[in-house]
Amino acid sequence: MSRKTRDKLISAVTVVAAFISAATLLVIIGFILKTGLPVLSPDFLTGEYNPKTSYLDIKKAPRAFIAEKTADGDIFIREFGITLKQTKDKEGKTAFTVTGIKSGSPALEATDAAHNKRPLKTGSVITKIGKTGTEGLSIPAAADLFKNAGDKLRIKAVIPGGGIYPMIIATLLTILLSLGIVMPVGVCAAIYLVEYARGGRVIEIIRFATECLSGIPSILFGLFGMLFFVKYLNIGQSILAGSLTLSILLLPTVIRTTEETLKTIPQSYKEGSYGLGASKLQTLCRIVLPGALPGILVAVILSTGRIVGESAALLFTAGTFANTPKSVLDSAATMTVRAYVEVKEYGNVNMACGIGVILIAIVLTLNLSSRFILNRLNEKRRDRA
Amino acid sequence: MKYKLSKFSDRFFKAVFLLCALCSVLMLLAITIFIVEKGVKPFLPGNANGNYSLFNFLTGDVWKPSQNIFGIGYMAAASALATAGAIALGVPTGLLTAVFIAEIANEKLAGIIRPMIELLSGIPSVLYGVFGYAVVAKIIRSFSPYHVGDSLLAVIIILSIMILPTVVSISEAAIRAVPAAYREAAYGLGATKTEVIFKTVIPAAKSGILAGVVLGTGRAIGETMAVILVAGNPEGGMPGGIFDKVRLITNNIVLEQGYASGMHEEMLFSTGVILFIFIMAVNILLNRLKKRIGET
Repeated sequence: MSRKTRDKLISAVTVVAAFISAATLLVIIGFILKTGLPVLSPDFLTGEYNPKTSYLDIKKAPRAFIAEKTADGDIFIREFGITLKQTKDKEGKTAFTVTGIKSGSPALEATDAAHNKRPLKTGSVITKIGKTGTEGLSIPAAADLFKNAGDKLRIKAVIPGGGIYPMIIATLLTILLSLGIVMPVGVCAAIYLVEYARGGRVIEIIRFATECLSGIPSILFGLFGMLFFVKYLNIGQSILAGSLTLSILLLPTVIRTTEETLKTIPQSYKEGSYGLGASKLQTLCRIVLPGALPGILVAVILSTGRIVGESAALLFTAGTFANTPKSVLDSAATMTVRAYVEVKEYGNVNMACGIGVILIAIVLTLNLSSRFILNRLNEKRRDRA
Repeated sequence: MKYKLSKFSDRFFKAVFLLCALCSVLMLLAITIFIVEKGVKPFLPGNANGNYSLFNFLTGDVWKPSQNIFGIGYMAAASALATAGAIALGVPTGLLTAVFIAEIANEKLAGIIRPMIELLSGIPSVLYGVFGYAVVAKIIRSFSPYHVGDSLLAVIIILSIMILPTVVSISEAAIRAVPAAYREAAYGLGATKTEVIFKTVIPAAKSGILAGVVLGTGRAIGETMAVILVAGNPEGGMPGGIFDKVRLITNNIVLEQGYASGMHEEMLFSTGVILFIFIMAVNILLNRLKKRIGET
């Protein structure tokens, strides 16, 4: 083989390798989008995860809807604009499942006993109409109950779950809380390392510890968090315990990113500030920190990405519950944790991919925005030079 | 008076900053102490939950908490094999990709592939697991002699994809850091482009590339959520082939931590200690490499 052909051959091998790397990404993202996109719907994003039984008050429509042709055995209730089908509830009793709701139907404005808006959804199972239970009720009899209702009708219905709203809320709370804890600590640590430290043993130890921390796998953070925050400090499995655990995990990223930007603040700026009689603290607050703001923003973005994608550290600290958290002391699963639980426990790849689409959208947005900030920063630096 | 006040607040804040900086040291210590303290209990005499032989723990190939059998030898072997396999697959691919981006592709093509690799590193590990569960394991099932998709092979494939971005980005940086004079000298001696790359540039970038490999190794050893969905997680048995089900060290913790108590829970922490030792060894190796890069 001549050297020239060998040269070409080896070049071709690198092309193939690069192609494989890029294709892997496309295949993974393609798979997640293909499986996940059909799952996405407003109900998926805003609905509760668990089915919920509640009493709903529905006002009668001011004018009856125009009669509609329905599938065999279904009936369209003109007064409320909903289509019903006779089915069985979980205990095998007769019930009526909502198979269609016209737009503008008052059922979409239904309220629960506490006057919170709780719209009836397609797939809801009605087990009581007014004061009459649906057991043994025929379809025409049920339709009569609706027709003869007063201005307001109370029904008992099981509204289907399957939404990820609780996980979205849990994820947002976890992001806010974790950033709230780690950003002040991390930025202050970086300030110490760049602005105060004069080298020596302490700094070496701090740097070594930070580096070690960044190498520890998240499952070990999870173990520690469970032992220390959940049990030892007795916080219990909660968003708070999860966020505290994440804060430790994020610390190295925040410190390193902030440090990098702090180092780029020109020495002359600080000297100018000192020359005007400012103290070290004043210089930090007025000169150094404002200049480092874009870098701190990048640290926030990077951390958010890690929080959104983290699961092993949260599994035993924040838990896997799919109820909407009322406070940070509640146990609640983030989207990523839930995606894992869905696949591991139920083999529910569709829901995991639905969550996956959202996660990829978030990661992509964060990726682009951090790159945008860094580009702007570099341009500025070039202008200054 | 005002001067004194500002001097006081300067000192006060310096202390606050130092305290924050010490946080990482404190947390590292706390993590080490808490995990190790609980993890070594079963091997020390006088433990409330009973004792277990360290030798049996490290070399055992059966894990049956219900019968008080705790052997993680087969998990350690699986973790080592999975990591080695991921490196064997991921490093050549990653290194060649880095060579392509840094030396062969034009700016435009490199500008397309590089962000794609970066995005690969941003995808949450659970999604790799979902992909492995729904796609990779299914494909493997179609030709596996046991007709099971969960296997060492699936774990290796997922892990090698996951270390790819680390290997690519660090190798690329190392290759780019090689001075242009090296290349010019090699060209001057009549070398072809690939000879320049593989005989001059890569040897010069060796330490940096090695650092990428070590970092990737750390990631592969510590990875949990992606591989748990495709590993199969059996209760025992040394892995004998790539189609065997395996249970990795990390998986063991996640699978059972939710309900473990007493000696069982302590044993999971012991598993954590073993993982911790693995990772620290990798970290120290990485630190050495970085120092060597700094020197050259």
